[in-house]
Amino acid sequence: MSQHLETDHHDGTSDATPGGYEDQKRPGETAFAVIMLLASLGLLWNAYGIAGFTSLSSPGAIPMATTFVMVVAAAIVLVHTIRLPKATGETFVKDILPGTVLLFVVFLVCYGVLLEPLGFILTSALFLVAAIKVLWRRSWAVTLGVAAFSLLLIWLVFRIVFTVLMPEGVVPEAEIIQTFRNLFTGGAS
Amino acid sequence: MEHLLAFFTIFTHPQLLLLVGLGTFAGVYVGAIPGLSVTMAVSILISFTFSWDVYPALALMVGIYMGGVYGGSRTAILLNIPGAPSAIATAMDGYPMAQRGEAGTAIGVTTTMSFFGGFIGILVLALAAPSVSAFALKFQPRDYMLLAVLGILLVGSLSQGSLTKGIFAGALGIAIGAVGRDPLTFAERFTFNMPLMESGISFIAVMIGMFGVSEALLQLHHVGQPAIKQKISRIVPSWSTIRKHLPLSLQTSTIGVIIGALPGTGGDIAALMAYDHAKRVTKKPTRPFGQGAIEGLVAPETANNAAVGGAFIPMMTLGIPGDAVTAIMIGALYIHGLNPGPMLMVEQPNMFWFIVGALVMANFFMLIFGLTGIRLFTKIVAMPRPVLIPLIMLLSIVGAYAVNNSITDVYWMLGFGIFGYLMRHYGYPLGPVILGVILSRLLDDNWRRAIISDRGDLGLFFRGIFTSPLSTVLFLAVVLIFVSQTPIWRWLKARILGQGKRSVEQ
Repeated sequence: MSQHLETDHHDGTSDATPGGYEDQKRPGETAFAVIMLLASLGLLWNAYGIAGFTSLSSPGAIPMATTFVMVVAAAIVLVHTIRLPKATGETFVKDILPGTVLLFVVFLVCYGVLLEPLGFILTSALFLVAAIKVLWRRSWAVTLGVAAFSLLLIWLVFRIVFTVLMPEGVVPEAEIIQTFRNLFTGGAS
Repeated sequence: MEHLLAFFTIFTHPQLLLLVGLGTFAGVYVGAIPGLSVTMAVSILISFTFSWDVYPALALMVGIYMGGVYGGSRTAILLNIPGAPSAIATAMDGYPMAQRGEAGTAIGVTTTMSFFGGFIGILVLALAAPSVSAFALKFQPRDYMLLAVLGILLVGSLSQGSLTKGIFAGALGIAIGAVGRDPLTFAERFTFNMPLMESGISFIAVMIGMFGVSEALLQLHHVGQPAIKQKISRIVPSWSTIRKHLPLSLQTSTIGVIIGALPGTGGDIAALMAYDHAKRVTKKPTRPFGQGAIEGLVAPETANNAAVGGAFIPMMTLGIPGDAVTAIMIGALYIHGLNPGPMLMVEQPNMFWFIVGALVMANFFMLIFGLTGIRLFTKIVAMPRPVLIPLIMLLSIVGAYAVNNSITDVYWMLGFGIFGYLMRHYGYPLGPVILGVILSRLLDDNWRRAIISDRGDLGLFFRGIFTSPLSTVLFLAVVLIFVSQTPIWRWLKARILGQGKRSVEQ
């Protein structure tokens, strides 16, 4: 299996054909390798702090062995990466971390921050509307409609079928469900 | 007799049967939609089903697994975009067939061959697992340790990527798994004195981050890709086509089961290796490979579904995952308070036979859904990515939050999502990370058990390895994987093979 099978999908969708290039380095690859090496060294130092070289069966033995392997592997990868020629026609901003990806990372962090105070329904609604609007560039009516429909679907499946509890926040979810239940039981009796 | 009853559990409980059917149906579509993978679906699902009983949860996951491995082939054939990693090889001959207007035949062959491969995988699982588990009871702690290391190494060595990066990823996974208080001595490990880290990092957060969010972020690059519509003709293949490819499909199913059963490696690697094998052994393909050879469909599709059954063998008998999906299922069993390994097979054989039954059913459902519902299929696959990507992200967050009702898990998940996204770009495989996280505890416990029983003496430990044939084989396999990646190996290969080549050239 020496030949690369897919030329268009070199972005690591699968472990069988991981991303990156064999004989070129992508933008930022060296920096990433440096960070990995530094992080591994930090973890090795931390692992040494667990129990030092006291015994082979100490709680620090496996952590030290694995972080040592990490350091060695990261160093080999770094040396290998430095030697490679740069991939032509790729830039960090365009191919590795484009604006859309950064924007979505920001969206996701905002989601995490707002989830508990605002509650699941409102936060998700905001997120879906913003995300779909940015990606799809359709009219507000379409965006709002699709977002509302998908949110309703997700909420029904997860709240009712899987009974997953999400933070309620400012929307009185439990009361609403109870009202509906009362309505149906009231209508039946 | 009791086992037979357990095997038939699935058929006698309509609710479970329905869940397998539902799972398979969902799996076919999850697999078919580019950007949604089985690994992602199963890792998100485990957080939603953790409040269920074990059987329904397993029924759903088994269905998704079986359906999803198959589903990727549809988009590979119709759009030249493998819907799931296991269908990468399928696109190479499937798409050329669709271009010739033979999409229907291609889908039909793929479906029946997936069914065939899936069945072989299940058969081997049912026949081999009980004896493997009896054998596994004799495994020493050091054998478990070596097997875990082997599993983590195999992904890197059998894939097209760099083994060094695979080793790094695996070691990182083990380190992530070690975070928190050591269960034996209560010593803090990698906690950086933060109370938050004491209970460790939730492996579900790691999984959903790596397979959910990072994939969704990656898909942002392909947002503009339009969905293409194709007309599909008759899809049930003729009996003669099937019979003609029976010998090849038996061989490639075997490859699939073996690769699946090796710890760590799953359907995606099996499919590529089977495709490679078909290219080598097929003297007269229907058409040249890469231009629409049916053999090029038969090989990967039998192999990837055969790998499903194979992957359950080490999972059920040793508690060592056969691939990333079974790694996640082991996580699901942990959550349900079960401990996969040889003792599980001894204490709860019914669980094993239930899974076999569910797999059989999922395989039949796959055949049914595969040969029908084409019209519905084209609609679902045409679902616009600008809607799909935000939904995946939302589901990932809900999934990460739901397990412990903790916002910290959501941040871990996001962190690993971004990290995984960069890892994918730079060619670091993600499978070894998950394997490392899942196997960390097993590796640590067994190493300590082994070395304590050898009184902390490395010399005794190595003597132990070389006095047991099993340990020796495992140890040599680990060493061989390392050596095969060093210049020494290339030099040896050049010495041995190079001379033969030169004499041919002259």
